[in-house]
Amino acid sequence: MDPLILSLWLIRFAFLALLYLFLFSVVRILLRDLRVAAREPSTQLGRLVVVASPSEEPPVGSVFALDAVTTIGRDVNNSVVVEDQFVSSEHCVLTFRGRAWYVEDLGSTNGTFVNGSPVEGTAPLGFGDELQVGNARMRLERAHR
Amino acid sequence: MTNAAAPARPALPPIVFGGIRPRARWREMWLLLIVALTLYVGSISLGATEAAAAGKSLTLSPAEDQPLAIYLGALLLAHLAQVVAGRRTDQVLLPATAMLGGISLLLMERLPQSLVSQSFGGLDLGLGQVQLLWLLLAIGLITILSIVVRSDSWLRLYKYTWAAAGIGLLVLTFIRGEDVNGARLILVIGPFSGQPIELLKVIMVVFLAGYLSEFRPLLVEQDTRVGPLRLPPLPYLAPMLVMIALALGIVVIQRDLGAALLFFVVFLMLLYVATARAAYVVLGLLLFVAGSYLMYRLFGVVQDRVDIWWDPFKDPSGNGYQIIQALHAFARGGILGTGLGAGLPLVGGQPPIPAVHTDFPFAALGEELGLVGVLAILGLYLVVIERGLRIAAAAADDFRALLAAGLALVVGVQAFIIAAGNLKLIPLTGITLPVISYGGSSILANAVVVGLLLALSDKGVEPPPPPRAGRRFARLRDAVGGRA
Repeated sequence: MDPLILSLWLIRFAFLALLYLFLFSVVRILLRDLRVAAREPSTQLGRLVVVASPSEEPPVGSVFALDAVTTIGRDVNNSVVVEDQFVSSEHCVLTFRGRAWYVEDLGSTNGTFVNGSPVEGTAPLGFGDELQVGNARMRLERAHR
Repeated sequence: MTNAAAPARPALPPIVFGGIRPRARWREMWLLLIVALTLYVGSISLGATEAAAAGKSLTLSPAEDQPLAIYLGALLLAHLAQVVAGRRTDQVLLPATAMLGGISLLLMERLPQSLVSQSFGGLDLGLGQVQLLWLLLAIGLITILSIVVRSDSWLRLYKYTWAAAGIGLLVLTFIRGEDVNGARLILVIGPFSGQPIELLKVIMVVFLAGYLSEFRPLLVEQDTRVGPLRLPPLPYLAPMLVMIALALGIVVIQRDLGAALLFFVVFLMLLYVATARAAYVVLGLLLFVAGSYLMYRLFGVVQDRVDIWWDPFKDPSGNGYQIIQALHAFARGGILGTGLGAGLPLVGGQPPIPAVHTDFPFAALGEELGLVGVLAILGLYLVVIERGLRIAAAAADDFRALLAAGLALVVGVQAFIIAAGNLKLIPLTGITLPVISYGGSSILANAVVVGLLLALSDKGVEPPPPPRAGRRFARLRDAVGGRA
């Protein structure tokens, strides 16, 4: 075979091979990322981040991983205990129903607020929304991966 | 591999100035090295083929090494800027985009330079040089966006402003636009001209992400029943109708089928991402079929495109010419391709496909790189989509998740629409192949997309701002709270 044509072929295939080497490297990185993400337990449905808490209990910045039903109040039996004099012992409950979060006020004395507006009965709660019980404010966030 | 050798958690590097901590990016460096090597070999292949065609002896030097060297140098600078800035952004997106841009550069250098000519200050630039200029601007834009954007509130809080700007752009194009191939696509303002539709697609994703994240809890509700379909409260279906109207409006006013299809598909995908309701997609598709049929009956442009697609051989030297040439190009390419520089013989000094640099680069690549190469290029777009969806999955709130998913999908869907059009799988619609096609608006708009995706992937960005109280909650309460 003509060495000229042969070398042209070789260079052509080298280009295609390198293109696939790049894809292969990228896919390896993507798979590794996926495995790292899969190893971390992602059964979390969401997180509650404390934004403001004058009573220092819970402290600002603390993060609660949420179960499908999370109760908030001053009583120690709640999932999230807020030591604030304006919080009722059983203040409100966060529930994950199917695809979205809802907050239900449990007849608290001083009410539950979402983004500054009072909750009557049950209200939907989106990721990024701010929940206020007593003087404490908390933000609902998507679970970390 | 380089990143395996790196310690898993290196000690914090010293603070250089102003609180900036450089952070090594081994994966990006490794991938960019492969990109550089691939493009260099591609350039040698192109140069050798062209030299052989000209009857010269075999030379193993790149075709024109200056543009490639400039391009790779810009990539190195972008990488170094990311390292110095120390952001923990995604490390795969830049190399994947760089590979697409490099392939574009090789292709544009190889096509007849007279397809495009512009002169800047007495300097006459051909197709390849102008494309290089746009690619350099794009790399700059990606770097600046990914480093400077530290908060998304400028997108989040002004979604209606953005939407108004987008519609204004559309109206301006209608009034002042210029026609290309029967479609009103190009807007000229002073010395600048561009295709506003490319910018509009980014604006649309920003608006949809804002709207859907705000009303997601409501859209998930099931209130209305239409036959077997369970739908949300009817008022919240209004944006869907507005989107369909917008898509049809683009067809009617601008005769731009590709953009209309792109907008509608991305809208349906985002709706599904936001709500996980198949009913929306079914309803959207039904409306789409009905709308397309109506358009087919009412508008000659649509009818022409469908007829060409159905049987291009009816008018092989007229309407069906481009698509037939594209099919021939794919056939000539076969599985392994003819090699860079060996395809597309000139017919009378012109390439057989007149719009090869804008609408048909996929056919040109299909000829020269073959099925194998084209699959690799589609793979690169899939990588971009995967990264976007991963960034969306890791996002802190709904707006960012929808924004990242939408940005990635808009690029991916656009690539697949034009690739399918080139292959005669669907009627050909004139949109660009993202990053590969020639054209400033297209390349810069896609650079904005990649830059924003990189910024969103940063784990250290400012947390989402607290939502504002106000009318929104009243609406939510009226629709859901009272009943539950």
